[in-house]
Amino acid sequence: MLIQGRSLAKTYRLGQVDVAALRGVDVDVRPGEFVAITGPSGSGKSTLMHILGCLDTPTSGSYRLDGEDVSGLTGKRLAQVRNRKVGFVFQTFNLMPRLSVEENVALPLKYRGGIARGERRARALRLLERLGLAERVGHRPDELSGGERQRVAIARALVGEPAILMADEPTGNLDSASGAEVMRTFAELHGAGHTIVLVTHDPNVAARAERVIQMSDGRVV
Amino acid sequence: MLSLLGLILGTASIVTVLALFGGQTALTEQFLNEVGGRGTIIVSDRERSAHPGAQELASKRLTFKDAQFLRDRAGALAAVSPGWSQSLSYRVGNTSFDGQVIGTVPDYMAINDIKPLVGRYLSDLDVRHQARVAVLGWKYADSLYGVATRAVGQLVSLGGKNYTVVGVMEREEFYFAAWEDNALEYRNERAYIPISTAIAQHSAVDHLDFLTLKGRPGVARGVAQAQVRSLLYARHGVEDFDIRASGQGAGGEAGQFLLLFNFIFLVVGVVSLITGGIVIANILLASVVERVREFGTRMALGATAGAIFAHVLAEVLVVTVIGGLLGLGLGTALTGVVAHFMQMPAVVSPFIAAVATVTALTVGLLAGLFPALRAARLSPVEALRYA
Repeated sequence: MLIQGRSLAKTYRLGQVDVAALRGVDVDVRPGEFVAITGPSGSGKSTLMHILGCLDTPTSGSYRLDGEDVSGLTGKRLAQVRNRKVGFVFQTFNLMPRLSVEENVALPLKYRGGIARGERRARALRLLERLGLAERVGHRPDELSGGERQRVAIARALVGEPAILMADEPTGNLDSASGAEVMRTFAELHGAGHTIVLVTHDPNVAARAERVIQMSDGRVV
Repeated sequence: MLSLLGLILGTASIVTVLALFGGQTALTEQFLNEVGGRGTIIVSDRERSAHPGAQELASKRLTFKDAQFLRDRAGALAAVSPGWSQSLSYRVGNTSFDGQVIGTVPDYMAINDIKPLVGRYLSDLDVRHQARVAVLGWKYADSLYGVATRAVGQLVSLGGKNYTVVGVMEREEFYFAAWEDNALEYRNERAYIPISTAIAQHSAVDHLDFLTLKGRPGVARGVAQAQVRSLLYARHGVEDFDIRASGQGAGGEAGQFLLLFNFIFLVVGVVSLITGGIVIANILLASVVERVREFGTRMALGATAGAIFAHVLAEVLVVTVIGGLLGLGLGTALTGVVAHFMQMPAVVSPFIAAVATVTALTVGLLAGLFPALRAARLSPVEALRYA
């Protein structure tokens, strides 16, 4: 089991009120699975995703990722896990505007430490080629189309060879053609053996996954 | 980059304001030196009290005899000059006007650091014999005789009495910045006559308006003042006079004025620092949200707070140092241009340069590091959603 979450709960404080975004969720993901998490706004699907991707910590519950208990981790240790085990793709791409495509993709390796610049470059280029973006290597993100930007983001998520690829509404900011392009990429990656978990409210996107986890009001239904 | 521009402008503004204002202060100090004279003591009549006692009524107040007395008896004094001044009518040929006439002694020249252009100043003999001689200020000599130097040997009527011109003083000049007028012209518009003649010809009684005294070099002004006070008190029987320090130096009104000026300079300086600092901080902080979100993404990719901090520090250091230096250059250039047009002395002293750059660097660093510090306390998710 790659992901093992038990009784995951998350409560936010909003002014004077406590908001329970997750109310005790169990989730399992096996290596090589393609899972989609769906649900209406406020169902807690993004919150769950952020916890699974180590971008946030649960208020209570336990979380094992790739054999390691990460629920109690913080700071530097957690940053390491993020860097090595998870590749995150955002709805808004979140590329660094002042860096070239190649520099963007190599960025996670920079934070890993111990990899020389030449090697970082080489790995980034390999991935960009694999995703069909070889011609865009020297460009800035603002010179790319939406679909291309998201695929660069996917390359960046993969460069560190993470255990899991996670995506939060990856087609949310794309037109249907680019969206289809991105979903094809995910399908190819899944076919090559990658484990993918994505969050979406789009049923067409959810349909491409092997398994769907439905959420409502902070719980799995 | 916008932040670089902010640093350049902020630093330049601090430098320019401080240098120009500092130049003004220097100019004012020079002027006050010229006018105030150095370390003189002035004795003047005190106002009569509401209910004068017998002593006060009996006292003759300040007289020429007092001046002679102090000259003989006050060991702490190097020069004594009685001040007698009236407005009299001047007449030469068809030219006539009313102007100031000063009755005094040869010491006046030493005390006020002036000298004749042609001819001579008053002498002790003139005073002893109540001679009807006059030394003219440059402007009046010029107005009365067409050419200032031609006045020597001529006659001039002062207050209806004829005097022989024995000398013409050098022209005293001081120009402020781009102001065209001579700030010291009033000193060229007068005539000097012997005090004894003045009292005899134009005054009913021996009474002086004030005494100007100069202490011996090496004698503290306070000591000289104390000596004068006790001597005059013994003579008058009552303290119906005021003694104050004049010109530069502790207690002098010029000294106090300068203190005020320097204080204003300090206030202006601080205000310009704050303004410059705000310019810098404002521009750097304009992108706080954007930067914190960027840090959020980097943290999501595995960057630690330390890594982000180091990265930002390097970037901010480069911007602030380059921006600060360029700003210093721009400020110095601007100062030079304005000083040239205004004909003011304005120099960017090392002190000003240091103050400006240190302020710019400090503000720049703090404002530049602020987003990193903010982001470091947040989880990646919170940073990504920062607003």
